[in-house]
Amino acid sequence: MKALCWQGKNKVDVERVNDPKILNPRDGIVRITRTAICGSDLHLYDGYIPTLEPGDVLGHEFMGEVVDTGSEVSRVKKGDRVVVPFTIACGQCYFCKHNLWSACDNTNPNAWMLEKLYGYSGSGLFGYSHMMGGYAGGQAQFARVPFIDVGALKIPDGLNDEDVLFLSDIFPTGYMAAENCDIKPGDVVAIWGCGPVGQFAIRSAFLLGAERVIAIDRVHERLKMARAGGAEIIDYEEVDDLVEELKWMTAGRGPDSCMDAVGLEAHGTGVAAAYDYAKQRLKLAFDRPTVVRQVIQACRKGGVVSIPGVYGGFLDKIPFGAAFGKGLILKMGQTHMHNYTEKLLKHVEQGDIKPSFVITHRLSLDDAPDAYRTFRDKQDECIKVVLDPWAQPVAA
Amino acid sequence: MTITTNLAPKYGKKEFSRRHAATNLETVITLSAGAAASIYGLVRRDWFGAAFASGGGYLLYRGVSDLRRPYKGRARVAFTIGKTPEEVYDYVYNPENWGHLLREPMFQVDGAGNVTIRLGRGEEGVEFKSRVEITDQRPGDYIAWASADEMFEHRGVLRFKKAPGDRGTELSIAFEYKAPAGPIARSLAALVGLDPEQLVREGLRQIKQLMETGEIPTTAGQPIGARGLKGTAERVLYHERPAAEMQPQSLAGD
Ligand SMILES: NC(=O)c1ccc[n+]([C@@H]2O[C@H](COP(=O)([O-])OP(=O)(O)OC[C@H]3O[C@@H](n4cnc5c(N)ncnc54)[C@H](O)[C@@H]3O)[C@@H](O)[C@H]2O)c1
Ligand SMILES: [Zn+2]
Ligand SMILES: [Zn+2]
Repeated sequence: MKALCWQGKNKVDVERVNDPKILNPRDGIVRITRTAICGSDLHLYDGYIPTLEPGDVLGHEFMGEVVDTGSEVSRVKKGDRVVVPFTIACGQCYFCKHNLWSACDNTNPNAWMLEKLYGYSGSGLFGYSHMMGGYAGGQAQFARVPFIDVGALKIPDGLNDEDVLFLSDIFPTGYMAAENCDIKPGDVVAIWGCGPVGQFAIRSAFLLGAERVIAIDRVHERLKMARAGGAEIIDYEEVDDLVEELKWMTAGRGPDSCMDAVGLEAHGTGVAAAYDYAKQRLKLAFDRPTVVRQVIQACRKGGVVSIPGVYGGFLDKIPFGAAFGKGLILKMGQTHMHNYTEKLLKHVEQGDIKPSFVITHRLSLDDAPDAYRTFRDKQDECIKVVLDPWAQPVAA
Repeated sequence: MTITTNLAPKYGKKEFSRRHAATNLETVITLSAGAAASIYGLVRRDWFGAAFASGGGYLLYRGVSDLRRPYKGRARVAFTIGKTPEEVYDYVYNPENWGHLLREPMFQVDGAGNVTIRLGRGEEGVEFKSRVEITDQRPGDYIAWASADEMFEHRGVLRFKKAPGDRGTELSIAFEYKAPAGPIARSLAALVGLDPEQLVREGLRQIKQLMETGEIPTTAGQPIGARGLKGTAERVLYHERPAAEMQPQSLAGD
């Protein structure tokens, strides 16, 4: 089959590799009909995630048709149309039973690596480095899905691929990030980053009853899409002091919750940002925590800081005193996907949200190497790329 | 750590050394300091030199014996398994339940108490065979064992304890061992995740995974693209067997 393989920093290639096969009794094989590129993939593309190796198949947002199942699979049948959550969960460990699915004990074959780094290992992820399990990803024509009965979401007829594909990651991620904000009537939620995760977080915050959402970015088409979703917007390059701006917009109270939907490659200006950038280049740090600093600083007393943006290592110069002084609540982590897939599918079926709004580029798998660059550099007003692994390349 | 070795008195005649195995760096420093001192002493050809040379000789002796000294150690590992202590005990007590299910059989026990421990994979791997005696046990509570041969000595206790709340069973192992490998061999083994503690940790983890989910997670045999030089070297880390049938080819420019 064809698959997109990482070949080093800034280099991905479409290669011909073996088709996946059933390796364990609870596996299933999915013939992929649509797959997407995620902001998380950019962290891989840019070489910021350790233990990714040349030849690893990327991709964790995919859906398709079940073409094979292992001997212990019963709920999912051949021919089912399914969306696959990006976190792999066994359904039987303590964490799965307590709805902490992305902390599953039994799905990372390389758990010892993360144990060395983080003390404990979370669940395995598709296409996201060896320390996260080393599972081949879904930017390919087929994928092997471990514990397919536990994760796969069956899609009823009559729904477009494009409207359910994002149940594999970014819709639940935006939703959990908004849920973590613990939204109460009258709440103002400030969201940094108007990428796909930010876009879904904006709409989820309104679904959960937010009074106002303030969205922050500098990329105009993304801010425009945020405004279309009902948010007030700030172009952070046009304000002198973001924290003061937010204070002004909330009449001195500060946002009730602040969300970092940017992650470890935050763009920034000024001395602190230059310092973060240099440290990252010198491999002294994985992460550029510009936005973590800002969300802590901007959040109101006793408010919630919600961090769906991904971080990997040690963060420098975090205003921990401010977090403590204001009694903030910090919530973060990989999305507990399995809590949300069914529930959000209902929202899609009821027409509360039409997730395909975020797609700007529809391409074939062969176009993926170019698409990574376009998406990373925010060229061509690119916000979300969806790939058809079976189509002819668009850019001939 | 408290290893209740009194549960295993029968084969525990010789005390295990309490001295920690020297690190590679220590050994290298000891050896080079010893060599330097000896040469300096011999070159001086006087009383002072003789004292120096004998000091150097002692250091050399220390270094060489560090290199030759078998690796001894003790370790403890515990996992919480979402089953009752009785279920876990029954499962573990009968290795026929699981020995053949382990994906990379690292230790296997047959009915007669013969343990095979494998270090390394494939053709190049090393196998230690060791006979094991159960020295004491209480069903649903603990199993104590000791090795019955000289080549690879080990002994320890496996304990089964009800975990608080609905968490299942705390399965723990505390053990001591003496393996025929110098510090260099040991750190090579550790590099590929094969030091004795890691071995036992992965073994217990696999038992937990088998009991909770019925399988051991794996990626061995999944599709991979061209690995390149560094990736090929690191395959052993990720438990990837170089598959002969794998011939990934780039489609760039298709
Ligand atoms: N927690 C999870 O399970 C999970 C799941 C999916 C994605 N993520 C993470 O969420 C983050 C966002 O993902 P995405 O797909 O939306 O990525 P993206 O790269 O498309 O979006 C990031 C956005 O942040 C903006 N930005 C950069 N610096 C900023 C700053 N200083 N202030 C405000 N905005 C800034 C960028 O202009 C961009 O629009 C990534 O870190 C991704 O890894 C996490
Ligand atoms: Zn994603
Ligand atoms: Zn689990």
